[in-house]
Amino acid sequence: MRKTLTLLSTAAALVCGSLLLMTPDGARAQAAPAKAVAKGPRMTDGKPNLNGVWQAITTANWDIQDHSAAPGPFWQLGAIGAIPAGQGIVEGNEIPYTPAGLAKKKQNKANWPAEDPEAKCYMPGIPRANYMPFPFQIIQSNKDILMAYEFASSNRLINMGKPVEAGSDTWMGTSNGKWEGDTLVVDVTGLNGLAWFDRAGNWGSDKLHIVERYNRTSNDVLNYEATIEDPSVFTKPWKISLPLYKRAEKNAQILEFKCVEFAEELLYGKYKKQPTK
Amino acid sequence: MKQRVLTSLMVIAAGLVSALLATMPIIGQSAAPKAKKSTYTPPKLPWGDPDLQGLWPGTDLIEVPLQRDLKAGERAEVTQEEFAERQAKAERTAANDRVTHVAKDSKVGINPPGYWLEHGIPQKITSLVVDPPNGRIPELTDLAKQKAAQAKQAKQGHGPNETWEDQSLYDRCITRGVMGSILPVIYNNGTQIVQGPGYVAIRYEMIHETKIIPLDGKPHPTSNIKSYMGDARGHFEGNTLVIETTNFLGDKNGIGLNGGGTPHSADMVLTEKWTRTAPDRIEYTATINDPKTWVRPWTVRMPLRLNPEFPLYEYACHEGNYAMFNMLKGARADEAAAEAAKAGKK
Repeated sequence: MRKTLTLLSTAAALVCGSLLLMTPDGARAQAAPAKAVAKGPRMTDGKPNLNGVWQAITTANWDIQDHSAAPGPFWQLGAIGAIPAGQGIVEGNEIPYTPAGLAKKKQNKANWPAEDPEAKCYMPGIPRANYMPFPFQIIQSNKDILMAYEFASSNRLINMGKPVEAGSDTWMGTSNGKWEGDTLVVDVTGLNGLAWFDRAGNWGSDKLHIVERYNRTSNDVLNYEATIEDPSVFTKPWKISLPLYKRAEKNAQILEFKCVEFAEELLYGKYKKQPTK
Repeated sequence: MKQRVLTSLMVIAAGLVSALLATMPIIGQSAAPKAKKSTYTPPKLPWGDPDLQGLWPGTDLIEVPLQRDLKAGERAEVTQEEFAERQAKAERTAANDRVTHVAKDSKVGINPPGYWLEHGIPQKITSLVVDPPNGRIPELTDLAKQKAAQAKQAKQGHGPNETWEDQSLYDRCITRGVMGSILPVIYNNGTQIVQGPGYVAIRYEMIHETKIIPLDGKPHPTSNIKSYMGDARGHFEGNTLVIETTNFLGDKNGIGLNGGGTPHSADMVLTEKWTRTAPDRIEYTATINDPKTWVRPWTVRMPLRLNPEFPLYEYACHEGNYAMFNMLKGARADEAAAEAAKAGKK
């Protein structure tokens, strides 16, 4: 049965491909990426099976844009605390900020690390949760899909049923998912705009609308793309993309990283009782 | 403040329950019934595992005390009269919640109004602890008593708001621990099961925990990896999900509400069982085996009800922990004021 489905989707992809070829402006139809056929295991209903522990191998959490190596903020850590150079995950590298949006980004950066929600052990939000240097696990059921992140025990449930409207704004947002062929498409709204995208201070507001696309391009790679839209911060939508890799260790699992207690001195230190002279 | 509200509520609840029980005739009843063998066969997931998925909040059981009132002895259920009292009390609470204006002469306090809190449904069970048969948490070991005395002594002349460490792990928004995360409390009792092939995941709403349970029979990590929530491994015995959790951080969380109570040791082995007993019912039991802390194992049981409408919120506890800033700032302001008064500057 699985074979039949694969064949069918391959056929569908071929049909789509030839349609694109026949369309005069097919080459410009960038909004509709070719229907990719997923590799790797499938669920009993034929949908790609994304279950597993995944992790990005990227320096995007330092800066989602291209960046050179730089010293870290604490000389005591020596080379351990230095910032590695990295190729960004932003398509075309430029983020189309409005002037005010860019000013806020610069301000965020100037206030790093103390004001970075990561330093405070706040939930990372979307999309940052997906490319932090921590694994996350996908629990894909026959209904909804749970993403459990190691960092700060954050998690989100992707509703695969009838789309729901976001209630109150949250750190991790409201996720509505659907399958477009073999691609899991997740529409994220209801983000509270308090999370940052990286340690460089890139950010979005509570008007953020993120459309994520997950595509398993091989057994070990889950390709991740996100279109980021926020008219109050950006002049036009922009896109990030990166591969997520399957943690292939036989004993791969999410461990506990409850970072609150690592952030308390930073957050509350100045309010604790000082030793009396 | 949250702590104080909670404590006073628990005291009030305990007082009410004991008062109720005291006035009721005690009739002979059998000890804690053994978990009934369920004849219900739950639906299966496409990959063959029993389907336990859904929202199973503990809200219904909020008013059931963890430990049974001593006067109830080995009675696992209340008498008909006691049950009628519980129903009457629930009705009074509901009526109280509907009041839109406070009475003119009512006292103003710092506690939230009653309707801020969630209420359960009157239950027949006398306690959540079902074993030992008296529904009481067993006696502490000498070692645990010694540790408790030491901890108390260490707190002497310290606090209450010198540092954040004077607050509980719950008030610090770190965790309520492995049992505190599921025992019903005043609100946000969401518990949700999501299953994938080879895994069961359980989400606990308050302080947003996810327990991921692999079913593949692989062993726990070495004891070098310890955590508040422990390391869970599971398997199905018939239609029952059996979860064994080990690798705990010791002397942190207790087994009580919100992780209170005597802290368990690093060597605790927790065995939880989830069995669906009807389309909308699931029975949950947890057996606490920690010979370093309690003289015998003990078991908590909760009959939970499926509630697909239950709204499970993102409980951003730490992110919104303004109380911690305020408690510490307030204490420093008090100290500064006292200092100023002493210096005669005021």
